[in-house]
Amino acid sequence: MTLREAAEKLGLKPVAGLSRLSREFGQGYVSDLLSDVMANAKPGDIWVTLQIHQNIIAVATLKELAGIILISGRQPEKQTLAKAEEEQVPLLLSDLPAFEVVGQLYQMGITGRR
Amino acid sequence: MEIRVEEDMAADRMVIEIVDDGCGMDEERARKALDPFFTTKTVRRVGLGLPLLSEACRMSNGEFRLESCPGKGTRVRAAFQHSHIDRKPLGNMRDTLITLMSGHPQLDLLYEHRKEGKTFSLDTREIKADLGEIPLDAPAVVSALRTLIQSGLEDLGAF
Repeated sequence: MTLREAAEKLGLKPVAGLSRLSREFGQGYVSDLLSDVMANAKPGDIWVTLQIHQNIIAVATLKELAGIILISGRQPEKQTLAKAEEEQVPLLLSDLPAFEVVGQLYQMGITGRR
Repeated sequence: MEIRVEEDMAADRMVIEIVDDGCGMDEERARKALDPFFTTKTVRRVGLGLPLLSEACRMSNGEFRLESCPGKGTRVRAAFQHSHIDRKPLGNMRDTLITLMSGHPQLDLLYEHRKEGKTFSLDTREIKADLGEIPLDAPAVVSALRTLIQSGLEDLGAF
């Protein structure tokens, strides 16, 4: 599945990294602890989080994640948006809570298993 | 390097201060130090230590300050509201100190931890003076230091 397809099916709003929405992804990780993501997320994962600070872009770059979904209507900080655009890290917004986003992704075949 | 931790329960504050006498940073570099995409490392593009620490302060109603002077060194002060529900635990300071000391035996390190009127402190200059020719990272020394630090922190109620 591509990020674009996921965005359409889940009603996500892409706000940065638009050039990479055709990126395919098959697995995901959900966590709000950046140290946990740094330790356990895998390259190519879609990351679901409520964190909005620019550090999330650095972590996504470091771990080569497919993109970041911000949940519950959270808006990225101005600097986060700027960095996401600069680094072309796909940033997608959802009004849904994390449990719902992950559940819907899971039903579409995206897993968290390693 | 000096690392000071103060847990002031009456003021509901935890403050971590790290001071070094390294090469220091000019104003521009000090400003960039909190940018996760600024690093002096050559193996990767991101440096997350200081950005994550400053964010941790912010998330627990604290504040973060970095002062530096080229040729003199750097002082980092990270303050947190002690009781804040989102304050991350201090973590395992025993193993952190052991890693620091055994990984950098040449470093002069002073650690001071204060909590509720009690203090635990450790000064590697004093330890090295007592050890003489025995290196700080000798296995028996590391083992003894581990025990010393653990019991010191336990007495403080910080382990």
